[in-house]
Amino acid sequence: MKKTKILAAVMALCLAIGAAGCSQTASQSTAAASTASQQQTDTVVVAMNVESEPASGFDPAYGWGAGEHVHEPLIQSTLVVTNADMSIGYDLATDMQVSEDGLTWTVTIRDDVKFTDGEPLTASDVAFTYNTVKAESTVNDFTMLDSAEAVDDTTVVFHMNRPYSTWPYSMAVVGIVPEHAYGPDYGQNPIGSGRYILKQWDKGQQVILEANPDYYGEEVKMKKVVILFMSEDAAFAAAKAGQVDVAYTAASYTDQTIDGFELMAVKTVDNRGINLPAVEEENSIGNDFTADVRVRQAINIGFDRQEMIDNVLNGYGTPAYSVCDGMPWYSEADEVTYDPQKAAALLEEAGWTLNSDGVREKDGRTASLNLLYPMGDSTRQALAADMANQLAELGIQTSTEGVGWDTAYDRAQNTPLVWGWGTHSPMEMYNIYHTVGDLARYSPYANARVDELMDQALACSDLEESYALWQQAQSEEIVNDVPWVWMVNVDHLYWVNQNLEVAQQKLHPHGHGWSLVNNVDQWTWNQA
Amino acid sequence: MKQCFYELRQPRTAALLRLIFAAAILLAIMIAGMACREQALATDFTRKNLAPCAEYLFGTDWMGRDMLTRTLSGLSLSIRIGVVTAAVSAVVALAAGVSAALLGRWADSALTWLIDLFMGIPHILLLVLISCACGRGFWGVTIGIVATHWMSLARLIRGEVMQLRQSGYVQVARKLGASPAAIAARHILPGVLPQFFTGLVLLFPHAILHEASVTFLGFGLTSEQPAVGVILSESMQYLATGRWWLALLPGLCLVAVVLLFELAGKSLAALWSVNAEQEAA
Repeated sequence: MKKTKILAAVMALCLAIGAAGCSQTASQSTAAASTASQQQTDTVVVAMNVESEPASGFDPAYGWGAGEHVHEPLIQSTLVVTNADMSIGYDLATDMQVSEDGLTWTVTIRDDVKFTDGEPLTASDVAFTYNTVKAESTVNDFTMLDSAEAVDDTTVVFHMNRPYSTWPYSMAVVGIVPEHAYGPDYGQNPIGSGRYILKQWDKGQQVILEANPDYYGEEVKMKKVVILFMSEDAAFAAAKAGQVDVAYTAASYTDQTIDGFELMAVKTVDNRGINLPAVEEENSIGNDFTADVRVRQAINIGFDRQEMIDNVLNGYGTPAYSVCDGMPWYSEADEVTYDPQKAAALLEEAGWTLNSDGVREKDGRTASLNLLYPMGDSTRQALAADMANQLAELGIQTSTEGVGWDTAYDRAQNTPLVWGWGTHSPMEMYNIYHTVGDLARYSPYANARVDELMDQALACSDLEESYALWQQAQSEEIVNDVPWVWMVNVDHLYWVNQNLEVAQQKLHPHGHGWSLVNNVDQWTWNQA
Repeated sequence: MKQCFYELRQPRTAALLRLIFAAAILLAIMIAGMACREQALATDFTRKNLAPCAEYLFGTDWMGRDMLTRTLSGLSLSIRIGVVTAAVSAVVALAAGVSAALLGRWADSALTWLIDLFMGIPHILLLVLISCACGRGFWGVTIGIVATHWMSLARLIRGEVMQLRQSGYVQVARKLGASPAAIAARHILPGVLPQFFTGLVLLFPHAILHEASVTFLGFGLTSEQPAVGVILSESMQYLATGRWWLALLPGLCLVAVVLLFELAGKSLAALWSVNAEQEAA
């Protein structure tokens, strides 16, 4: 009797382990059913991570393209697009003007565009789309928009609540939906005017996209795109079995090889960094140790980013110095060189002296830091561990702790957390460094000059001018204040069939997902 | 081998030896694990992903942590959680079982109903729920296991007490005017102690496996802890790349510890029953 109970318990454990394996087998069988595309020259099968499947469907109002992880919506057209260098180009738009006070944007659009149901796309669809996302969007901020108005068939006017120079970057991710065919189930049956039509969506498994035959832009070369949603190890197995043409992967797989596949590393602005609370602790907000600016500066120059990349990312990453490395609004003044001597000197200056155990002390307190990381993210855990090892060499006793996202935001108010950011808009910088009330939102920090410069940047009527102001905020203030320490930009890694030509990628934003297929229409197969 | 043990002319000695053997190993694992906790937490990226070798018997993981000290430390943590939870839930079970049987019909049906209620909810589900509600971590798991493991032992003890209550010497004591408390303490408790201790030891493997499961599923101990559940769930990610040692060796150790507790519990039961026989004679 007792023996059977133990047996049952052991079996329950095995079952739990087995259940985790089941999901993989399920997705693998779909892959087998839908592929063998190498023979066809205009089909590609891509394995993407499970989180990339849009939970609320392909509706821009609920995060498709314009959510936490920005990407081109493919099924819908956007007014403008971001170019490879993150400047703004036109998609539906033909011209874009902003008034001197920054409160009115006037955009004219093409008159030759049709939705895939045959109806023409007009300015009223554009206005409808923006008024809808403003009212509905829970994932993106559209509070700066008052309303959108169609003046005639090809002119739409955006009335803003406040000047917002980065508006074109918002327009680059909002897919235009048809007013006549929009409803609660639009996300399941999207109609757009983009390069692809949603042909099939098997939830939890795959999405099949087919080229839009009436597309107004450059010819779509890849006629059919199959996206499979898989866990990391299932994607690896599927690539090995030749069931997919492209499979996302992680640094821990880079010592493997797959016959007929090459490892593609895409540079990103998908950064990882830690926040250092810049005020003294009060009511669980702030951190007494990192409140000293010299401590923050010492940490910023006191660890070797390249060593971290080699150790944790197997070399697949670039050092990060800001939240927006490589973007037009990035200031090169953010770049620092690794200098442990200077870091030690800064800590000495701040009163933290080494004791006989190699740990720094001040007034009987030891220099200690706890680094939080989101549980289940092995890369961030390893980054935290590597950071802890490097800080220990500086004499700062550092521990790591895994936290769930349910408590992470609150705990980050007084304890550094390993975050991931990086997007195609300067607004992220604003959200991280600008105060809301007394302090910035994600980590306590306040600098009136930073606020002022970023507000000026938003008020600019010229995008180029605004870049200079964003940069000024970094080079004059933020680089000295160091309220965040940026560690690495994580390369996005993919196994790619060696006969497939993947078109050149822009710097990927945070989120190892749909960004890859931003330009899937221009991918081609080499004749083997 | 087993046969030999049973055929020993003094089964009592054999049982005692087995008990000491199991207890000594478990105690050694517990102490060793506590002693090497520092090493278990240490990461060293210069030695990551090593297969088992002379220097690292259990290999190392993706952050260069030594899996042997990590496993030991994890088992030690499991055993300590097991000790706390088994002890507390056994005491709860004893109190519930004894009071159910002695406090009259109304208390009995209330407690039986409670036991049935708890038993009706799937174990692991309730455990996950309680652990999450208590903020996960060490205390979340401990409270969760305590709250979900007392029922079957409580039921067993209740049945035993019910039986004892009908026995002659208890009837006599009651006729002589002894108070219910005195009867419980002097006449009934000693009678159920064998079941109590055996049940207590046999709660350990349950507690340990459930601790590992709930942590494996991500609702228990946090992932920087060297816990067996954490080790096993992390290793899942690396099975596809052929790092078998991450799951296999710690998993086998977990099974071994569970079996040792089983052995200890059985030996203890054997010891008690022999005792009882001698007393009867």
